[in-house]
Amino acid sequence: MKRGFYFRLAIDGMRKNRKLYLPYLLTCAGVVMMFYIISSLAHSPIMNTMRGGGNVAMILNLGTIVMALFALLFLFYTNSFLIRRRNKEFGLYNILGMNKSNISRILVWEVLLSACFALVAGIAAGLLFEKLAELFLLRATGETAGYTLTIETSSIIAAFIFFGAIFALLLVASLARVRLSKPLDLLKSEAAGEKPPKANWVLAVIGAILLGAAYYLAVTIKEPLSAISLFFLAVLMVIVASYLLFIAGSVAMCRLLQKKKGYYYKPRHFVSVSSMAFRMKRNGAGLASICILATMVLVMISSTSCLYFGGEDSVRSACPYDLIFNVEYASPHACAAADGEAAAAAIEKAASGCAEGLVSYMEYSLTGVFEDSAISADKMARRVDITSSPMEIEKLRTIIAVPLSDYNRLAGKNIVLEPGEALVWSSGEAYPYGTIGVKNTPMLRVQGILTELPFKLSMYDTILTTYLVFVPDWEAYTGQLSAYLTSLGEDAISSAPARCCGFDLPGADAEEQLEIAARTYEAITDANGFCDEPQAFLYCGYSAYADSRSDFFSLNGSLFFLGIVLSIVFIAAAALIIYYKQLSEGYEDKSRFSIMQKVGMTKREIKSAVNSQVLTVFFAPLLLAGVHLVFAFPFVRNMIRIFGVFNTRLLIATNVACFLAFALFYVFVYRGTARAYYGIVSGGEERQ
Amino acid sequence: MSILEVHDLKKVYTSRFGTQKVEALRRVNFSVERGEYVAVMGESGSGKTTLLNLLAALDKPTSGKVILDGVDTATLPEKNVAAFRRDQLGFVFQDFNLLDTFTLEDNIYLPLVLAGKNYAEMSARLKPLAEELGIAQLLKKYPYEVSGGQKQRAAAARALITEPKLLLADEPTGALDSRATDELLSLFAEVNRRGQTIVMVTHSVKAASHATRVLFIRDGEVYHQLYRGSDTNEQLYQKISDTLTVLATGGDAR
Ligand SMILES: Nc1ncnc2c1ncn2[C@@H]1O[C@H](COP(=O)(O)OP(=O)(O)O)[C@@H](O)[C@H]1O
Ligand SMILES: [Mg+2]
Repeated sequence: MKRGFYFRLAIDGMRKNRKLYLPYLLTCAGVVMMFYIISSLAHSPIMNTMRGGGNVAMILNLGTIVMALFALLFLFYTNSFLIRRRNKEFGLYNILGMNKSNISRILVWEVLLSACFALVAGIAAGLLFEKLAELFLLRATGETAGYTLTIETSSIIAAFIFFGAIFALLLVASLARVRLSKPLDLLKSEAAGEKPPKANWVLAVIGAILLGAAYYLAVTIKEPLSAISLFFLAVLMVIVASYLLFIAGSVAMCRLLQKKKGYYYKPRHFVSVSSMAFRMKRNGAGLASICILATMVLVMISSTSCLYFGGEDSVRSACPYDLIFNVEYASPHACAAADGEAAAAAIEKAASGCAEGLVSYMEYSLTGVFEDSAISADKMARRVDITSSPMEIEKLRTIIAVPLSDYNRLAGKNIVLEPGEALVWSSGEAYPYGTIGVKNTPMLRVQGILTELPFKLSMYDTILTTYLVFVPDWEAYTGQLSAYLTSLGEDAISSAPARCCGFDLPGADAEEQLEIAARTYEAITDANGFCDEPQAFLYCGYSAYADSRSDFFSLNGSLFFLGIVLSIVFIAAAALIIYYKQLSEGYEDKSRFSIMQKVGMTKREIKSAVNSQVLTVFFAPLLLAGVHLVFAFPFVRNMIRIFGVFNTRLLIATNVACFLAFALFYVFVYRGTARAYYGIVSGGEERQ
Repeated sequence: MSILEVHDLKKVYTSRFGTQKVEALRRVNFSVERGEYVAVMGESGSGKTTLLNLLAALDKPTSGKVILDGVDTATLPEKNVAAFRRDQLGFVFQDFNLLDTFTLEDNIYLPLVLAGKNYAEMSARLKPLAEELGIAQLLKKYPYEVSGGQKQRAAAARALITEPKLLLADEPTGALDSRATDELLSLFAEVNRRGQTIVMVTHSVKAASHATRVLFIRDGEVYHQLYRGSDTNEQLYQKISDTLTVLATGGDAR
């Protein structure tokens, strides 16, 4: 009986305050939903079948942590609004003779009810969206086979534990507040008795420093995969810094502005600066949340859309020819002796006349630590160097030796060099040294620098800075290198002489191209690579543009889709916060604006004060999100390189486009809520 | 010439769906001369606040006219009303209506800031006023840090700093203890002595006894008035009490 009584009081209280409780409950459920969606996508079996799913799952797992931190800060923020409202009611109960433990019971029920609703509704919505997302994903990747509709119990349990803990913390915080306060304070806590916040310079400075450090981290990370946890550390730092800056930094900023009399005592600034200084402490959290959600959305959408739209481009740069064959031989001698003409003829035959722009050349490629114009072919040296410092990776270079005669033939030139001389082309900065070669072997003198190649290289060949070296006596020179490598035994870096043939098939569709590839492959392997000694032919590999393309789009298409799903969820959350914030502030500001009207403020002045305030409050998070985006850019660029898109200009374009699109959306929300806000503050007085 | 004339003022409140009508003022007529200190007395619910809101053009009358210094406030376009109120009127409310986000100083500056005055001029005006009102030491404090009487004096300072033609006060002593009430009333008497015209609505006999003239309103009409003449505050207090007694025992002045 008694128990039912407190339960009913709790329900009643929530119903009476539904204007506040409803958005609160929706927000809580929304946060639970976001958490669940991210966490369950990370564990989804789809990640095992999807290409690159491992990376995505890892990112999502770290994303879950980010989401958790965000949920904690955000729920505390929304709850603080509620508590301030409810305290008045509790003060009344207290004065009417209810003691604090009775009040605590009501609170317990309230929190319990909110938690239940948030978890059940949040997970239900999460399940729905996540399953829908999975189905769409499968559609996009076309891998419907073997998919069963499973429910991620581990994510549900994680959500229950995590949010159970958060709600418990919220309860403890509210209980402590009730216990520690005097009844009169409770009564007054919502009314005018609020203290003006002091500028907390320490927190503001800490926020600024954290932000700087996080930016530094994000910008200096070179190797995205090995340093991904470092990047997420930076993300967490950015989140904390954003909260500190908005909560403490903004108050400090307003206090500074108030000191500037010429600025402060202007009709436009007077009201908005002072009321912002007053409320930023609490609302800073909301703004920081918006800022972080916006950043997440922007990073996700701009990078995944870059991956998607950069697809054609990137597949082309990975596969510069429709078909590329790489025939590897045991030795440079065998490679040189093999019949290149016959290979070309075989290709022509297999392609039944469709082949166009055939290029064919021999290459001998080595990758190792490059110092003072020479690569060391010692594997151990390289391994030790890389693990001891990730920065050593910067020193890795690839040298590819190609016969000068192939160059002359393909470029239509007639350059003559002496043995021991070479022409050099660099994929990075111009080659700076006078010689080039492999340590402990005779060095080549650089006779000329080439700026253009007569054939196209795949971008995978040039992930590391690559030097192409054209030598007149290819067989002799690479023979030397190969002998040296053999002498190193186990410790030698690997290398193989090979013939590369690339050609386009403009008339053939994807299917035909793959058929031609198979036929060509057969022809080459059947002829043992057109080699005299069958055992000198090692293997024939090929890459087909058509293949890479479909692979690429199935992977990046699903990433793009994932990005869109998560963005929608985040945007909805941001819109909810904005709406929630504007309404709750509107009710608080109502009495202020009615006073100002009585003192002689015109409607227009009120409107302009509202605008200037709402504008600042609104666009500060967007602005900071933009800055975050800029500093995340180098990392994002490295990240999408892993997925095979190297088009920085496209990434900049998608970043800018996404920012503008988001800003546009933001302006819409702004106009909608500013109108609602203005309606509230300028509306007729409520008679009490 | 009168600074304020009120002709046949009528105010009917209609509920949102037009189902209920409350006639707050029926037919109010009176005028106020420059330098007068007029108290308007009436019971709670008799329409005092309504009257004051109409005088201040915070609300529009159903019919009738309010002429302030020769200007019919109803004819002012909406966008000029606020400026008019700001420049010509000072307002002191029962519940102070100070903004909790401002220090007392900034609260007092508010109308001047809205009028576009610069800081130097504002602070030059505030200094003597704050001394006179005894709040010079409190200017940097926030409303929640000072007492009710101090808040009301700050509110009075805000009303007076624009040097208004007319000071309107709605139950200014309603939320004050008796000492703070005395202080505020003698303050009003003092500014009136220096020429400030005041219209104050109140249901407190004590407050009314400081005025130079007392109007009584009931059932939406002014039905009686008392002049101070050469009476002391005490004598006027007695007269007001007597009038109210006659009223309560059913007497009708007309
Ligand atoms: N905004 C309003 N809407 C409807 N009725 C109102 C409104 N304001 C005042 N009234 C009614 O008008 C009458 C006079 O109110 P008011 O002027 O506040 O009286 P007083 O200030 O003398 O106590 C009361 O009956 C009150 O209920
Ligand atoms: Mg009243």
